[in-house]
Amino acid sequence: MISFLVVNPFIDSLLKILSIVGLMTVSAMGLIYLERKIAARFHMRLGPTRTGPAGLLQSVADALKLVGKEDIRPASADAWSFELAPYFVFIPAFMMFVTIPFTLMLNVEMLTLGLLYIIAISSVSIVGWVMAGWGSDNRYALIGALRAAAQGISYELPLVLSVLCIAMIAQSLNLNEIIAQQTIVPNILLQPFAFFLFFTSALAEMNRAPFDIPVGESEVVGGPFVEYSGIRWSMFFLAEYTALLIMSILIVALFLGGWSWPFGEKLGTSWQILLTIMKTSLVIFLIFWVRVSVPRMRIDQLMNFCWKVLIPLALIQIFLNGLILVFHLPTFLLAVSSIMLMGVLVLIINKSMQNLNKNHIVKNNLESA
Amino acid sequence: MSNKQIETQEILVNMGPQHPSTHGVFRMVLSVDGEMITDVQPYIGYLHRGAEKLCETMDYRQGIGFMDRTEYLANFNAELSYVMAVERLLDIEVPERANWIRMILVELNRLSSHFMFVGAFGVDCGVFGTPFLYSFRERERLIDFFEEISGDRMMYAYFRPGGLAWDVPANFVSRVEEVLSSSEQGIKDMDGLLTNNEIFLSRTKQVGIIDGKAAIDWGMSGPSLRASGIEYDIRRAEPYLYYNDIDFDVITGINGDVFDRYFVRLQEMRQSINIVRQCLANLTSGAILADAAARNLRTPPGEVYIRTEAPRGEYGIYLVSNGDNRPYRLKIRSAGFSNLQALRDMVIGSYIPDAVVILGSIDIVLGEVDR
Amino acid sequence: MKGILISMKVTLSAFFRKPVTRPYPDVHKPLPETDRAFPILLWDEAHTEPYCTGCHACERACPVECMTVLMKDNPNHVNNDGTSKRKKIIDKFWIDYARCMRCNICVEACNFEAIAMNNTWSGHETSVYDRKDLIMDLPQLLAQHRSGNIDEWVVS
Repeated sequence: MISFLVVNPFIDSLLKILSIVGLMTVSAMGLIYLERKIAARFHMRLGPTRTGPAGLLQSVADALKLVGKEDIRPASADAWSFELAPYFVFIPAFMMFVTIPFTLMLNVEMLTLGLLYIIAISSVSIVGWVMAGWGSDNRYALIGALRAAAQGISYELPLVLSVLCIAMIAQSLNLNEIIAQQTIVPNILLQPFAFFLFFTSALAEMNRAPFDIPVGESEVVGGPFVEYSGIRWSMFFLAEYTALLIMSILIVALFLGGWSWPFGEKLGTSWQILLTIMKTSLVIFLIFWVRVSVPRMRIDQLMNFCWKVLIPLALIQIFLNGLILVFHLPTFLLAVSSIMLMGVLVLIINKSMQNLNKNHIVKNNLESA
Repeated sequence: MSNKQIETQEILVNMGPQHPSTHGVFRMVLSVDGEMITDVQPYIGYLHRGAEKLCETMDYRQGIGFMDRTEYLANFNAELSYVMAVERLLDIEVPERANWIRMILVELNRLSSHFMFVGAFGVDCGVFGTPFLYSFRERERLIDFFEEISGDRMMYAYFRPGGLAWDVPANFVSRVEEVLSSSEQGIKDMDGLLTNNEIFLSRTKQVGIIDGKAAIDWGMSGPSLRASGIEYDIRRAEPYLYYNDIDFDVITGINGDVFDRYFVRLQEMRQSINIVRQCLANLTSGAILADAAARNLRTPPGEVYIRTEAPRGEYGIYLVSNGDNRPYRLKIRSAGFSNLQALRDMVIGSYIPDAVVILGSIDIVLGEVDR
Repeated sequence: MKGILISMKVTLSAFFRKPVTRPYPDVHKPLPETDRAFPILLWDEAHTEPYCTGCHACERACPVECMTVLMKDNPNHVNNDGTSKRKKIIDKFWIDYARCMRCNICVEACNFEAIAMNNTWSGHETSVYDRKDLIMDLPQLLAQHRSGNIDEWVVS
């Protein structure tokens, strides 16, 4: 834990809050820059180049512009919910940061039920989305907010279930303990299906492609944010990237062995920090990569995928895990069961694709046509 | 649960004219029941500039520039219909070389227009800009090539009644080969990016279905009609230029859904490349402007209707002349306008995101719809 | 799942390709010789006067009526102890660049090859703060060719 050399608990917590806000704002701005640069490379573009060397100051310029903009509230908007909504999205994202483990010793506050805390807090932001959508008095915003609510609540379930799979193996909800147990084998090898589940639902939770249905720019033009401008809009934006960072660190902690795999405990703190940063960057890159590669799903397909495919399979995974752990069967069976479920998932998707294809005679691949 | 029904209400969602995916200034008012669309009311005319009426005050050469501005993604095709109409009235024989060059440019323009479609359509489906940028990469190369020939990137004003404004540069053939090979790479990228993607398939298949009969009844033409399984291509049905001597396939779809409209266009791009290659082999040297084509043309009185296969379908020019050096009446039959009429049939009963995808799949150009 | 992986393969391959865009104001695309920006008038160096005789051909041919031409008797004509054979010469010439649709018809209509389309970048980068500044008068239209800053490409 960060130990500030201050006796007064109030000043201590104030410093912690300041460090969280400062660190997260800076890293969110860095992430925005990185996303623009990386997406540009995926598009074969150059990305920002004009502000500072290689466009490094682009986020700063954007932030200054947003702060300088007029804060517009539509005349017919509901004042309270419109003005408060950004805080409901913004604050939970920062609160999640409290228990995120960077290294063995470096985090703000290690909670015994850290995982539970993160999952509980992360769903609060949905309230903010709905408030923003309802308060804006705009139909795009309303549709977006309802989509956000439906999607957020649905994908909370597979998220929790996938975390449960890991918690069953680790026998703990303390993140540091979960990480410490992955010194030899990271959980992704034991539970690839749970990893897929968590990754998918995390994307849906963060409203990132292919699950950016609530903000869907080509349909509802930004969804709940459509009426926001200036600093309030930038708070939503900041919350989005903070959530991205925290979810990535969480994926690293739960599935990729966090700071401990490989050789985390032997090689000391600097290696642990390096490990965390490298793995997190990898996960974030993966998320960016998925974003530029896939179209957006439709809300009904999303719900079907969640309730008819992911949740049943997740329950089966938990059941199998329970059997294996209770009867002390060999550990590799965990991995086998998970890979089998992964195969089932692929089969289900292929089957549904065949259903779509029923009347098609044209081959779908141009090369063979 | 109580017996009392939950009271629900349909809401009107106004999509456009300022909306990222209405492809210009098109507006549709959707009545939605939750996410389900129960009614749609399209409004057009935001881009109406009176091009037809304007052309009545312009002599034939001046009118060419306005044709460019109606169909701003396939300008060569639009110019071609117009100059062919004038040529038919005057009964001029166009030199062979000019016709081959016209054919090459028209097919390349079809390629660039379809690139634009595929890119915009991918973005309508929700990919974060990637298909747009990939297709624009190729379209940019094509446009650069058009600039080398005609001098302008979009508004070429290159065809003239009786031939071409000036000859193509000396390195024409090698440059065509260059853009063709880069376009092939672009088509491969688009194909890999979209055609097999499960999410893309689930978004596009069995969405916005229109069967062949309904498509004909609505007056649809071009790839949108062919996607419904009707094998009708003006290049085959009523050959103009030298399409008779060229070997190409008329691509048709099976289901008439959004995916078919996308896939027909993707395959047509391959066909266009094929056609251009054949044209290059046939390219002769010689004059590029008919001797009979004076600067200030006076057409004999009469009327003529010329249709050509533009990327979006039948682009027809109905030209009435009273013996003056300008049209007495000019009517543009644009494919986008007719294809758009089928929108209501396709959209009702689908979801809001589908409306965007369906509108994208018709591939409208508002300049051409509103003229 | 396979299709999504193919899509991701395509984007990854693009990630390692060279970007195709260029940072525009720093790097300009080389323009082809045929490029058409806005029309400019050409300067006859031999007689130190414009080629243009003010014959109104381009003004009449212009589809958007963006030109205004006034002619005068040439003070430099041989009859007036001058060097030029042009009896009439351009007096005042305005082109409204805001109206011009760059169709090249004025160049084709000109009988003296006195007008050409600007094929340099200065013809494309014409942003001004006031719309009135886009109405070019005779010295402005002649300036570029006078300073030798252009290889004119006139339709033969």
